[in-house]
Amino acid sequence: MLLPKSKRKLKNNKFLPARLRATILKMAFAGSTVHIACAFSLVEILSVLYRSFLRFPDSDPESIGRDFLVLSKGHGVMAQYACLHEMGWLDDASIEQYCRDGTELKGLSDSRVKGLEVTSGSLGHGLPIAVGIAKAAKLKKTNQRVFVILGDGELNEGTNWEAMLFASHHRLDNLLVVIDCNGLQAMGRTHEILGLGDLSKKFESFGFAAIEVNGHDENEIEEAIESCLSGANAKPTAIVANTVKGKGVSFMEDDNRWHYTRLSQETYDRALGELMSGDEK
Amino acid sequence: MRTSFSNKLVDLAKSDPRVLLMTGDHGYSLFDDFRRQCPDQFINVGIAEQNMVGMAAGFAKMGFRPFVYGLAAFIPIRTLEQIKIDIAHDKHPVVFLGDGAGFVYSHLGTSHQSTEDIACLRAVPNMTIISPADSLEMSVGLQFAYELNAAVYVRVGKADLGQIHSDYSQVQSSLDLVKINSGDSERPGIIASGSMVGTARQIGEILELNVWSCPKIKPLDEESIKTAANESKGLVTLEEHSVIGGLGAAVAEIVSEQNLGRVVRIGVKDRFTDKCGSYSYLLEEHGLDQNSITLEIKKKFRI
Repeated sequence: MLLPKSKRKLKNNKFLPARLRATILKMAFAGSTVHIACAFSLVEILSVLYRSFLRFPDSDPESIGRDFLVLSKGHGVMAQYACLHEMGWLDDASIEQYCRDGTELKGLSDSRVKGLEVTSGSLGHGLPIAVGIAKAAKLKKTNQRVFVILGDGELNEGTNWEAMLFASHHRLDNLLVVIDCNGLQAMGRTHEILGLGDLSKKFESFGFAAIEVNGHDENEIEEAIESCLSGANAKPTAIVANTVKGKGVSFMEDDNRWHYTRLSQETYDRALGELMSGDEK
Repeated sequence: MRTSFSNKLVDLAKSDPRVLLMTGDHGYSLFDDFRRQCPDQFINVGIAEQNMVGMAAGFAKMGFRPFVYGLAAFIPIRTLEQIKIDIAHDKHPVVFLGDGAGFVYSHLGTSHQSTEDIACLRAVPNMTIISPADSLEMSVGLQFAYELNAAVYVRVGKADLGQIHSDYSQVQSSLDLVKINSGDSERPGIIASGSMVGTARQIGEILELNVWSCPKIKPLDEESIKTAANESKGLVTLEEHSVIGGLGAAVAEIVSEQNLGRVVRIGVKDRFTDKCGSYSYLLEEHGLDQNSITLEIKKKFRI
């Protein structure tokens, strides 16, 4: 596929998906934590956002004029930690000592960590906050953008739909929602538990522009975001990113046990081996 | 009290463009003046309180000063988790205005009545809770909430019960206890909040009891509670709220930890309203009319 015309910073390996996944694995192994598959499914989405779109004046995660990235699906926070590490906002020790007693980085997103905007993991909180930020940016007439990452399972929560109504009524074209659509939620497949139907059509009927992409194809994600940010829509946008939970490690892909399973030395070595050899399937 | 409420919000908004008034489609005529004078600072988010509180966090992150208005049955009760995680955890300067608290919506039934709001919020860290008794306490309370620059719940109860104080000098800017009747130090004293302060004063005048108005329930000033306990023989607390977790509980916690004597909590006795009726009818149903309270105090303290 052709490289898009935008500014992909591939001078070094920063934000390479395999590298981000390796950081996630290291954290999960160090902290003996769960939610590995939740983090793997949104790696490319985060990689593209950090590499190509999010603007942080003075490289400050708390800069007043920054773009906002709201991770509503707090269960994927290890993927964002990996990005914050790439940004230089988290040091190696934070990664190596993940979830040890007395450390800062928790198992779900916590707003007290610089670079994380919201405390999430209780689902359905991120979009309302993001809509508030987007409306505030309109009132202040800034050109800040607000990106929100939701899980598809998370869309069971009614607050999302309240927030969507407001976002479209107020034409918040500075709001871009990415749905990490991995088709699985805590107890099984989303379509078996509480089916979402045609998600793009649902968003469109709520007044959003909707684009469907392969959520592991960085070029597709990047092009979709580019087209949304052109401002031609005059409405908020939803990118429905079709993803695979556990993406990147063969024995984790689309296997919901990796929502809960902790790594052993053996599974850690195998998984890291796959990532390092570039043997992503 | 409602005029004072509306006027003060207009004043704050006119003096500070960061002030936003948010409502979940409540306050039909209450905010006419605000909408006329500060239309760009008024946001009706629709009937979606949880989204409203989340949005308030977003506004606060962008430097705004949201005042979030709703009925106390919804703000804070329906939105407790958003208040906890989105607002209080981050110490965002958001003021919650819970209107119609207690039995104000007497005819509408339990869905619109609120006698557990203080109890729920007291256990949330970083929350300040005030319950003004008249227009002066309301005006001082809103100024206090604005200046505190933190998460504050302003409980707005029955609003047409008349004045407690005659001028601003009688209300502490800190909203700590103010004595409104001096009585016999050998008898119990009453500490009351919100709609019950007027009743407390009337009972105090008849039975010769010390009476204090307590507009700020959290944090509750320990020193003034100690003073009240020392100036009386036992304390009665009086509130249009559950006896569990409200003013009475807060006072009893201090008094028992300091070993200062007896506290009798008078309020809603862990029950929902049974019947339909007027506000005064419901007070009687719950034993919160002046006569029932007087009898209870006399009986408990053998006056």
